[in-house]
Amino acid sequence: MSALDDAQEEVKGDMTPMIDVVFLMIIFFICIDFKVLESKLPAYLPKDKGSQSTVVEPQDQLSVRIHVDTDGTKDYSKSGPGAGPGVININTGRAYRFALVNHKIKWEVGATPLYKLEDVKAELTRIAKDPNSQVKDPKTGGKKLMACVVEAMPGTYYDDVAKTTDACNEAGFEEINFGGGLGPAKK
Amino acid sequence: MTNVHKLVQQNVEMDMTPMIDCVFLLMIFFVLVIDLSQKNLEDLILPRAVFQEPDDSPPDNRPIINVLQNGSVVYNQQVFYDPDKHGSDFRNPATAKPIRDLLVAIRTTGITEKKLKLVEEDIGGKKVQLIDDPILIRADKWTEWNFVGEIMKQCSQPDVAFWKVELAMSEQDKETGEKNPKLKGQNQ
Repeated sequence: MSALDDAQEEVKGDMTPMIDVVFLMIIFFICIDFKVLESKLPAYLPKDKGSQSTVVEPQDQLSVRIHVDTDGTKDYSKSGPGAGPGVININTGRAYRFALVNHKIKWEVGATPLYKLEDVKAELTRIAKDPNSQVKDPKTGGKKLMACVVEAMPGTYYDDVAKTTDACNEAGFEEINFGGGLGPAKK
Repeated sequence: MTNVHKLVQQNVEMDMTPMIDCVFLLMIFFVLVIDLSQKNLEDLILPRAVFQEPDDSPPDNRPIINVLQNGSVVYNQQVFYDPDKHGSDFRNPATAKPIRDLLVAIRTTGITEKKLKLVEEDIGGKKVQLIDDPILIRADKWTEWNFVGEIMKQCSQPDVAFWKVELAMSEQDKETGEKNPKLKGQNQ
């Protein structure tokens, strides 16, 4: 009889550590969700152009132009009640965020018009692999892949340029310049 | 008498396990939530990186410039440039002055406190002092490029000379929930 009691006692498990561990895991996964991993896109500026008053030999560059196809509309519906243009969120002290809906862009890689980022990447990869894209490197005297210049037209957004630059980088272009000075979008 | 004494002794014994559990829980919670390195980061939705690698070990001394949707430039939670106040037509040099002043201040402070490294390079026969440390620009995906481009332009000025500009992107688009294809591959 006493052996049976012992066996019954052994079956009883202490649930406390398991519950503790479960809570630990819940808190860990809740907190980790707030931190979305970030990536960095190197957009190093040329050291020997623009800012310095030195004469630089002009070089062939591949032009990647970003044009606005459809402006899109600003949508505040996901930012919470009361959100709207120019309204300040009292919790953050910053203006409410909008999402741009139906914003469409088109690219011109060289003279080729393209409408999808995948096509842009494919075209850039093709150009990068083309032997005719090799230009003289003034520093070493050898050959190197020509630079590409991302030209964002007025009305384009950071998302458009970042994704295009990301595609240029992936295609193998190491020297990426940014054309600018085109001003803000027409309101 | 001895029995009572024993009872008193038994009551004094305390189980420390739950308290230690709670302390660990609190420690983990605060370590995860109060991450000091995050205080420079504004709550922005960054564009999703399709091809780029994650920003695994960012240097501590890297200045982080945040650009809000309306073009406001925020550094260390302080707004230094506001297009509503300073204007947004950068053809007028006075418009970009607050941005330039901020970058010059970051450079000066960084050099004085020895957080930023200067290198002297021979460019076109001239000795030029460049900052050899990166600067990160974090802009919301729906920030007009005009504002980000102007910061990059100011970075290239000789009195600023931050040439290692990095653009922040995200592994996941918090707006649409789309993930980097490389991450999807890892999850499978």
